[in-house]
Amino acid sequence: MTNVNCDQLIDYLNGTLNEDEQKQFEAHLAECPECREIVDATGELPYLADPVAPNPGMKARILDAVFDEEEQQTPVSEEPTRRDRPAPPATMAKRGFRTSKWTPLVAAALLVSLLGNAYAFYELSDQPDAPTAPEVAFETVDLQASEAFEGTGTAALVHEEGALNLLVQANQLEPTSGDQVYQVWLLKDGQPIPTGAFTPSQENEGAVFFSLDEDTEGWDTIAVTLEPNRGNTAPQGEVVLSAAIDPEA
Amino acid sequence: MEKISDALLYERVRGKDKDALEELYDRYEKMLFSYLCKMTGDRDLAEEALQEVFVKVWRGVGSYDESKGKFVAWLVTMSRNAAVDLIRKQKKPSVPLDEIAEVESTDSSVEETAEWQEKSEQIHQAVRHLSEEQQKMVQLFYFKGYTHETIAEKCGIPLGTVKSRIRLALKKLKTSLQMVQEGGVLDDKREL
Repeated sequence: MTNVNCDQLIDYLNGTLNEDEQKQFEAHLAECPECREIVDATGELPYLADPVAPNPGMKARILDAVFDEEEQQTPVSEEPTRRDRPAPPATMAKRGFRTSKWTPLVAAALLVSLLGNAYAFYELSDQPDAPTAPEVAFETVDLQASEAFEGTGTAALVHEEGALNLLVQANQLEPTSGDQVYQVWLLKDGQPIPTGAFTPSQENEGAVFFSLDEDTEGWDTIAVTLEPNRGNTAPQGEVVLSAAIDPEA
Repeated sequence: MEKISDALLYERVRGKDKDALEELYDRYEKMLFSYLCKMTGDRDLAEEALQEVFVKVWRGVGSYDESKGKFVAWLVTMSRNAAVDLIRKQKKPSVPLDEIAEVESTDSSVEETAEWQEKSEQIHQAVRHLSEEQQKMVQLFYFKGYTHETIAEKCGIPLGTVKSRIRLALKKLKTSLQMVQEGGVLDDKREL
């Protein structure tokens, strides 16, 4: 019994289906005994390995981490954001390197659409009866790498009618491990707010898009840190990329 | 007293029953850790991968139900993918392709229990029914930390061909495993 769904079995086992495909395949799995039996057989493969005694203290460490994880899970809404779109959490069959939802390509498309919006506002302002042209300011900055950090990055800031859209892209990033994420911050007078986090793709690239609906702060600095985990409201990790931005922009 | 099924334990885990999670951990610690050690060749990395798996189980990421097959197979898939990911992040040099002999026994190998021995004999026997090419596919996909993309790249075979070869290999494995098990107790329904 082979059909299109059966053909996706290896992608399923490899964790490379997207969310929709995954759901579809799981529905297929429920209906297709052959695929299910093949999956079941993979459950026996570990017995090809020699039995190894667990590391000393491993069970306690792992269970502590598992239950700690639960307690540390804080609502994402703590971040002062209206339309933050962080990378989705890793799911079972999606390995870490697919967690960065904003691939550079998508990010580039977003940037184009932001510029498109800005352009549309200028167009409107040419109409004779158009109300006062909305203020649109656009700024891009190259992020400076800290010492011993190999990565590069750019940030684009679009101010539009009091809102701020921020797009950060970075390349040649060092891979993260565990729960580590690259966290973007906007700072004013040294006071940071978190503005989105990302993990690098397989190509060591990452990007995040962030919006503040009402932005009155006049930020003076943008920075990226390598945080031990997602969701920090103040930086714990080292700054890896940063740049000054024009508070008046 | 009859052993409570994995699926039922998992349901309790979804209800945030810590004891149920611990029970599942105890059931599969040795099996998964041994597998992860063989795959990563590194005890610390294996522990990290195992932790990730149980964090996901506890959080209910990619939730399990019996329509997805056996619980243990679901855990093995998660473990494999966690290890593949960690190996990639660590940029750990992967074992060369031609070195597909069995990884040498870890010095801290423990004695095989009767259950382990039986399972191990069955799967080894089943694998022997596969062609050399099929054994290689299983070895690369499940024990060397290669994704199907990497296998395609390294072997110079189109991705579609790699996928169908792995699928064929696993299908054959399933059939021969069933044959091998036919002599013993057909115990597949125990979790239903």
